[in-house]
Amino acid sequence: MKDREIDDLLEKAARAPQGVNPELLERVAATIRPSLQPVRPLPATWILAAGLVLICAAVALAGAARAGFYGIAKMDLFERLLIFAALAVFALVAAVQFVGELIPGSRRRVSPGVLLGFGSLALLGVFGLLFRDYHTDQFVHAGLVCLFAGVFHAIPAGLVCWWLLRRGFAVNSVAAGFVGGTLAGLAGVTLLELHCANFEALHILVWHTAVVPVSAAIGALVAWALHFRASHRSSLRAKL
Amino acid sequence: MVPDQILETLMARYQAGDFSAATALIHRISPQLHRFFVAQFASREDADDLLQETWLRIHKVRHTYRPGEPVLPWFYAIARHVRVDHYRRAVRTSAREQQLDDFSGLAAKFPADAAEPDAFETLLAPLPESQREVIEMLKVGGMSLEEVARATSSSVGSVKQKVHRAYKKLRETITSRGLAKAQRGGLP
Repeated sequence: MKDREIDDLLEKAARAPQGVNPELLERVAATIRPSLQPVRPLPATWILAAGLVLICAAVALAGAARAGFYGIAKMDLFERLLIFAALAVFALVAAVQFVGELIPGSRRRVSPGVLLGFGSLALLGVFGLLFRDYHTDQFVHAGLVCLFAGVFHAIPAGLVCWWLLRRGFAVNSVAAGFVGGTLAGLAGVTLLELHCANFEALHILVWHTAVVPVSAAIGALVAWALHFRASHRSSLRAKL
Repeated sequence: MVPDQILETLMARYQAGDFSAATALIHRISPQLHRFFVAQFASREDADDLLQETWLRIHKVRHTYRPGEPVLPWFYAIARHVRVDHYRRAVRTSAREQQLDDFSGLAAKFPADAAEPDAFETLLAPLPESQREVIEMLKVGGMSLEEVARATSSSVGSVKQKVHRAYKKLRETITSRGLAKAQRGGLP
């Protein structure tokens, strides 16, 4: 049997009429009528994405202003250009993806996992290229301080980003949380690059980069918990 | 005006608060959404409930549609979300109340009861859910591969792969059904 024949068979079967109870349609129309007010569509993707990137940059700059710009002061021009350009590109891609996750039927360019994987690999590549001091001093202690500082700044960035997109609707809340967490994590990494003057290669490769996946995991977990709670409440309401 | 443009115009008017546009959309889109739910092995009553729930959700988030974007992927993405949510809730409730081990096993019983052997839903019965929904969107929804990819939050390549696998499975099923019929016909 050829594909054409299967096509014909499916199309013939799909054409068979299958009506919907007209009373049901009337009921639906009557239900929505009282709340039918004009609504303002969401702004264009690029506006929202630019807003998200600005929020992340603002959170990172505010954090660094409070803690000190020691990292960026120690970098040379080439290091500054490469690191912040990589972070900006990653943040822009993540922002576009995050906006897409909150608008049903949006084109998905990459999956959340691929975004995190490729983005983290790109950051590792840039850090690996620029930092060659493989000596370590207080690797775990200094690393945990940076990881916590990064995640600590990712949380407000994530919350403000979520506030900006509060009118959106996630058809897959875990994926949206994951991508939002990835984006917020980049605010944390940016803060660390601005502030942290520890240029040991392993410290930056492990602990600075780890902020992104940790933040993505937190975002996914929070989104799952919120969705589960909302779903549980609605099933309880349905039972009553 | 092509159907997509009509839908886009209706959607824009619906967002502007035009009740006649909302009613027209409900009458145009509901049959295919209803069929989408039935094709996923919901009973007709379940499909009615899901359709109603979908429209309430659509109404609530109608501002997330942006003029100029394809309309059908937007509708189907929301319908798909409502269906997934509904089954998750049903699984939780069934697990609590009846200690069912596998809800998908229960759902798969539906095609056995279907009377029409060439009905669309019966033809799609052997396919896994992800392939079934893609075929349904292409054939009943009349959507393009790009639109199906948007509605299912996946890539065009992934949709093509699902279609390819679905056709392979359908070919096997239809051929074996044809053979079985021929064998039965050959018996005295």
